[in-house]
Amino acid sequence: MNGSDEGRRVNGSPLGRTMPEAYDAGPATGLVAGLAELREPAPAGFAALILERAGVPAHRYDRYLAVPSPVGALYVAHGRGMVTGSAAVEWFGTAEEFETAYRTRTGRSAVAVTKPPPGLLGALRTGRDRVLRYEFGRLGATQIAVLEAVRAIPFGQLRPAAWLLREVGGALTPEEVWRAVRANPAPALIPTHRLSLPDGTPADCGLPTGFAERLREREGVDEERVDRFARAGARFLGSGTTRIFCYPTCAHARRITARHEVPFASADQAGAAGFRACLSCRPVAA
Amino acid sequence: MDEMPPPITELLATDLDDGFTELVRTQAGAVRAVLLRLSGSAREADDLGQDTFLRAYSALRDYSPQRRRELQPRAWLLTIAANVWRNHVRTAARRPATADGVQVSDVEPADRAPGPEQRALDGTRRDRLVLALADLPEHHRLPVVLRHIGELSYQEVAQILDSPVGTVKAQVSRGLAALRAAPQLAADAGGSGTSGRGEGRYSEEVTG
Repeated sequence: MNGSDEGRRVNGSPLGRTMPEAYDAGPATGLVAGLAELREPAPAGFAALILERAGVPAHRYDRYLAVPSPVGALYVAHGRGMVTGSAAVEWFGTAEEFETAYRTRTGRSAVAVTKPPPGLLGALRTGRDRVLRYEFGRLGATQIAVLEAVRAIPFGQLRPAAWLLREVGGALTPEEVWRAVRANPAPALIPTHRLSLPDGTPADCGLPTGFAERLREREGVDEERVDRFARAGARFLGSGTTRIFCYPTCAHARRITARHEVPFASADQAGAAGFRACLSCRPVAA
Repeated sequence: MDEMPPPITELLATDLDDGFTELVRTQAGAVRAVLLRLSGSAREADDLGQDTFLRAYSALRDYSPQRRRELQPRAWLLTIAANVWRNHVRTAARRPATADGVQVSDVEPADRAPGPEQRALDGTRRDRLVLALADLPEHHRLPVVLRHIGELSYQEVAQILDSPVGTVKAQVSRGLAALRAAPQLAADAGGSGTSGRGEGRYSEEVTG
């Protein structure tokens, strides 16, 4: 069989191992590639079962699974009763790449399982994650406080960084806030995509643009309406009937009929006009 | 695979549970894939794979940190896997009552009968390779699988098989030749005429 090799030597080096070998060169090429295709990944749950049966304590490693979501499949990692990370499946070539990135970020191993943690599927379906608890890995206390505050932004609404600063309290710089936002370990679940620039338009929260847009679209954020208010310089919207002012995406603001919409460029302006701040969206410290 | 973060062997030496978890995470797929192609059965690959790692874990617990540090993880695990599989085959042969699972039969009803034969023809090129590999005699299948599914070097395979490297190279090479000649692969997608192995998908595709 080994007639005229040297033409192509593919075998010796699928993993860059071994020495040059005449035996390996040549005609085997197609067959060896075919065999390589038989290296299929183990089914989800295989590694977890080994660890369980070996008696490795469950708190020593995390689990993850790929779950469908309204914005495409997500990897969601969890452990010790907490969600420890999420990412879009489309960001990785293979599950192994996700595992490696996870290990790099958290210093912990995540093995594939098939069963989602309690509350996860509901949270993904509804976009409301209040029942979940998170483990933020290596983030500091202030970053965790910022991300916990982000979780308070309601479904389908946007809030500027100034609002976050106020909610977190303490002396944070905007840079610190954005650093925490970009370190979000659980995109899509912790809704950093609901952050806006001061003018009310969506901010760059560190997620791929298309993904963040899909998240907002799925929550029914009307970007056209948001743009319209931003262009008009209307950061707040008051109601002529209740004399309350809100962020434009607040559920109460969206109910104001066009006839009674009173735009304001600042909270002071609204206050001067005799409007008070909404208690739900808290455009000023309540 | 492992450069920037501490290599698995270092983890094994310093924190066995974390190291073992990483070992399972990174190598379970390879171990199972090898066992799947050796046994031909997903169920057995699962069981034997579990067994392999359980043995590895109890062995690791008895090893000194120094010894753990010096392991070649994949070659070491596949050594255990090959032993587990050989033991399993031997046991199953001794107790025929439970032997029905041993043959490749529970993945694909394999060969001969016209039905499966036809299925093999219809199947993808991958399916046909699976069938051909399952039909390969054990003394060819083991080296071929360790080398080309397990991605071990010839030296590593030679150690597992306890044979000289040259012998292993010859075994792998003959195994590949046998695969190329296998009826499953010789019957080409081209259809009709089975004009011998010249038409096989994996026949000599490089000519000088």
